Amino acid sequence: MMSKIKAIISFIHAMRCPDEIAREVEAEFRFHIEMRTRANIENGMTPDEGRHAAVQSFGDFERIKNSCCETRRSLPFDSTLLRMGLHITIAVLAGSAALWAVNAPHHDLMGVLRQLVAIAILTILFIFVRRARSRQRLAGEPASGILFGETVQANNSLTSDTSRAPSAKITAYDEQGRTPVERMFKS
Amino acid sequence: MLPLDYLGGYPLPKSKASLLQGTLDMLILKALSLGALHGYGVGQRIAQISGDVLKIEEGSLYPGLYRLEQRGWIESEWGVSENNQRAKFYKLTRAGRKQLIIEEQNWERLAGATIKALRVV
Repeated sequence: MMSKIKAIISFIHAMRCPDEIAREVEAEFRFHIEMRTRANIENGMTPDEGRHAAVQSFGDFERIKNSCCETRRSLPFDSTLLRMGLHITIAVLAGSAALWAVNAPHHDLMGVLRQLVAIAILTILFIFVRRARSRQRLAGEPASGILFGETVQANNSLTSDTSRAPSAKITAYDEQGRTPVERMFKS
Repeated sequence: MLPLDYLGGYPLPKSKASLLQGTLDMLILKALSLGALHGYGVGQRIAQISGDVLKIEEGSLYPGLYRLEQRGWIESEWGVSENNQRAKFYKLTRAGRKQLIIEEQNWERLAGATIKALRVV
């Protein structure tokens, strides 16, 4: 519970001070590059080589920074229910307004105007619902692959915002220090 | 260095990539269960505990750390590193410790089931 509260506070802070977050992320990455440079120098590289190799191995600094900042600015909980509630509220409000306008007497100019307002509201509501449904269809691709009890639940909860994050990059080396592709080509 | 998606040379569908992303999260949680570490240290510790078999690229490590922090499974604070430099240290929260147990159990079940399936003649 406390960690959730901290995550929400952190989210609010990230929304209020995006520049500060970006600076923090940059400082963290610079520290990482500095540590990697030292390790490279200890392994026999010159300072320039070590620095260059560290920067190279880090990858796309800006892309990783943006990805981290984006994560800090995203809601720390699943927003699907919140969005669904918002859609229902807007639909109910719009429906009520349209009903009110339709039921009002329309034998004068104001009545006609009310009817036009009702038609406009219903049209907007229709477009809104259509867009929301198409967005849901795009986002809600059924999870295929390995279905596995609680694992599926855990992975599904990750799917919503991990789609923006870069895919996991892990290299599995064998005893001779070869990557899977190297093994494939050299065997 | 190759993305995990291409292990074995075959690109994996998105759903499987997210399964592997869950593996990365578990590895980070495991590394931090042994003590607070800065981002660089997390990568080093994963390499160390996997016997230098697994290496996490920075492009995956940092978004992973931020994602776990956002979920409330880890928390961070700025401190001073072993080289007297200002560094951001991550540590596991109670929720993160619970999550690690769940992830480990799931992983063991998945690995067990996969081995069982592979042994079928």
